[in-house]
Amino acid sequence: MQIRRMASGLFILAYLMCLAWGVGAHALKVGLAGNTTSYFCVWDMFCGWQAYDNRTRIIGEDSNGNYYAVEEPWGAFTPFGNVARVNYDVSNNMISRHIKNVLDHSQHAGIDRVYVVQEIWPKQFNVPDRLWSHYFHEPKDKTSYYNLRAICDASGMPVESYPDWFNAQTLNGIADNPRLQRAAERATPYYNTFFNPSELKAQRSTFRSSADGLNTN
Amino acid sequence: MKTTTSGTSWFGGLKAFFFAEQSPYGLALVRMFLTSVALVPMIRRFPRVRELFSSDGAPQQLAELFGQGRPLPELPPAFAAALYGVMIFALICGVFGFRTRMAFLIGTPLYLYFNLLDAVSTMTKYSVIASHMFLMLTLSNCGSVWSIDAILRRWKEGPAATAIPPRFPVWPARLIQMLFCFVYFGAAITKIQTQAFFSGEQMRYWMLSNWNYSNPFGEVLAMWTPVLLACGYFTVVWEITFPFLAWRPAGRYFALGVGILFHIMTWITLGLYIFPLICISGYLSFLMEDDIVAIRRFVHRLRIPTSLLGFPRFAIARMIEMRPQSVPSSILWIGLAVVVAVASAEADYRIDVYGIRRNNGPLALQKIDSREALAMINNPKPLREKDKFFSFDIGNMMVGGQLGNRRNTFEFGDTIIAHCNINPPHEDMWVDCVVEDSDGRIVDSSGQYVTREQLFANFNYDAGNKLVPGEYWMVLKSSGNEVARRPFTLTGDPQSLPTMSDFVTN
Repeated sequence: MQIRRMASGLFILAYLMCLAWGVGAHALKVGLAGNTTSYFCVWDMFCGWQAYDNRTRIIGEDSNGNYYAVEEPWGAFTPFGNVARVNYDVSNNMISRHIKNVLDHSQHAGIDRVYVVQEIWPKQFNVPDRLWSHYFHEPKDKTSYYNLRAICDASGMPVESYPDWFNAQTLNGIADNPRLQRAAERATPYYNTFFNPSELKAQRSTFRSSADGLNTN
Repeated sequence: MKTTTSGTSWFGGLKAFFFAEQSPYGLALVRMFLTSVALVPMIRRFPRVRELFSSDGAPQQLAELFGQGRPLPELPPAFAAALYGVMIFALICGVFGFRTRMAFLIGTPLYLYFNLLDAVSTMTKYSVIASHMFLMLTLSNCGSVWSIDAILRRWKEGPAATAIPPRFPVWPARLIQMLFCFVYFGAAITKIQTQAFFSGEQMRYWMLSNWNYSNPFGEVLAMWTPVLLACGYFTVVWEITFPFLAWRPAGRYFALGVGILFHIMTWITLGLYIFPLICISGYLSFLMEDDIVAIRRFVHRLRIPTSLLGFPRFAIARMIEMRPQSVPSSILWIGLAVVVAVASAEADYRIDVYGIRRNNGPLALQKIDSREALAMINNPKPLREKDKFFSFDIGNMMVGGQLGNRRNTFEFGDTIIAHCNINPPHEDMWVDCVVEDSDGRIVDSSGQYVTREQLFANFNYDAGNKLVPGEYWMVLKSSGNEVARRPFTLTGDPQSLPTMSDFVTN
């Protein structure tokens, strides 16, 4: 009985320490990167929402120049409402497997290339018509913007990748500054001094955000 | 001496807090409600096991998102479906309390496994909270009351059975309670760290996202940013104070009551269905023995026939008792689990999620027009000026930096506030606000830089007595392009105010 109580006490202590570590690490932003277990102890349920809505469009091209919507012909799974599962993959980690799965289980001509496109529109256009007419006085002319994220082969492997639209917008806003451009040009050495082969390899194999796009080297 | 006494009493208090013995009615309620709620999304995914959780589909492991590869095995579809069926069976047994400990010992790791396999559409923070609570239920004696196990034990003991319910240390319930304290405290830290939470913009964008279920009330509320701002402050205060109130005799009614209200509001305004139900199920762990006695007395006074609630448990217990007495109930449980596993594998085969057998071959991909496709692939279209702005309104009251009212009639002497919300990310902009009369003549204008970190901009126009009564327009321009315009009427007697100089408009 005593041993059981001691074991319970140790478990309680360990459990509370885990929870405290999660809150402490989250508050101080320490030791969370690359740590799957942190997902179970960090409570970041409200970590920000974008002003623009986005969806992922996947387009396959065959050797004759025909285009196909690379969507599940058996019907996409909608986990929480009426948005297809692939759209919840905001960091595009699953895209390769998704493309392969759809192409493996569907009938189509030989696909040469698959384009992964981000569709973007401002979120005010999600407002229902009755609310729009009440709160907005302009006609509701929604326009979608398309941003090419990647070109993949038929197995879903990325061949080329491009910056995420949100990062590109931010970077364009910063880079649109002649003084900053001149400073960057002056600071950039002729020779690349920070070449890192392993990073280059990682860039080839997965999608990366362009958050490090300000690096001039 | 004094120190020793206070130290002992502190330790004694802690010991009583975790190891006081009570009947686990609260945990039994958590067992029934939480498990039922957690089963809803899992049962919904059953026809898609092959696609979401097997090697024949596109699972996305949580560890992959953290750059840690795929540590979990991805099973062939038949095995994945069989295991998935066992998980559902085990959790259903958990609801009714049939071989409760074994049910949670098997159901909890499987629940975790399948959630970890699909980080995109199954694993969410509510699954994490549910996993924590499942762990506590596994370690607790939640099956000792209001369960099939309790009924079978009572029948087995016969006349020797005591009417006094069994009692156990309360620490599993305490840990669930403390889990919520950490969850809310962590959530408050997140909000404090989130830019634009305390101006209401973040909440507004969330409410206009259609990523969850339908939330028509949230869409209306999104148009009233100051209300969101007030709600945001109230939520953070409640989240931070929750751990300090949750065990106070009166404070817990406030903490839990506001908690229930908060979660109901997330359902109404954000379209979250499962998350609030999981959390409210967890609140049942705060019910202690005394609370259950009080609730029972209250229900008895209302003459509600609560005995009907136990009918399914008794009915299933009677069926279980029909087994040959030589077969232990644990063997029966395992036998049923095997049957469920085989049936699930067969169901997966018959469901044929990819429609290959049903259509004598794979379904064809849909062709799209090449112009439509190329418009998506080669479309480096710059943002229209008007798409950089969320809204433009005029009024005369500010709340927390946001426009607190919308008006279109002003009197001389009023300050007209023109307020625009800007969608981030945006570049540094030059924004103009122009007053035009009904014939389109520019009466006055004012401009300002809106830097990239700004989410809104205000233009205060002092109506004074420069203008004549009549109809006007407030026009918003960005980079010289008209973005939006709002009509307003100026009424009253301009002579009632002293004459203004020509240059003091803005």
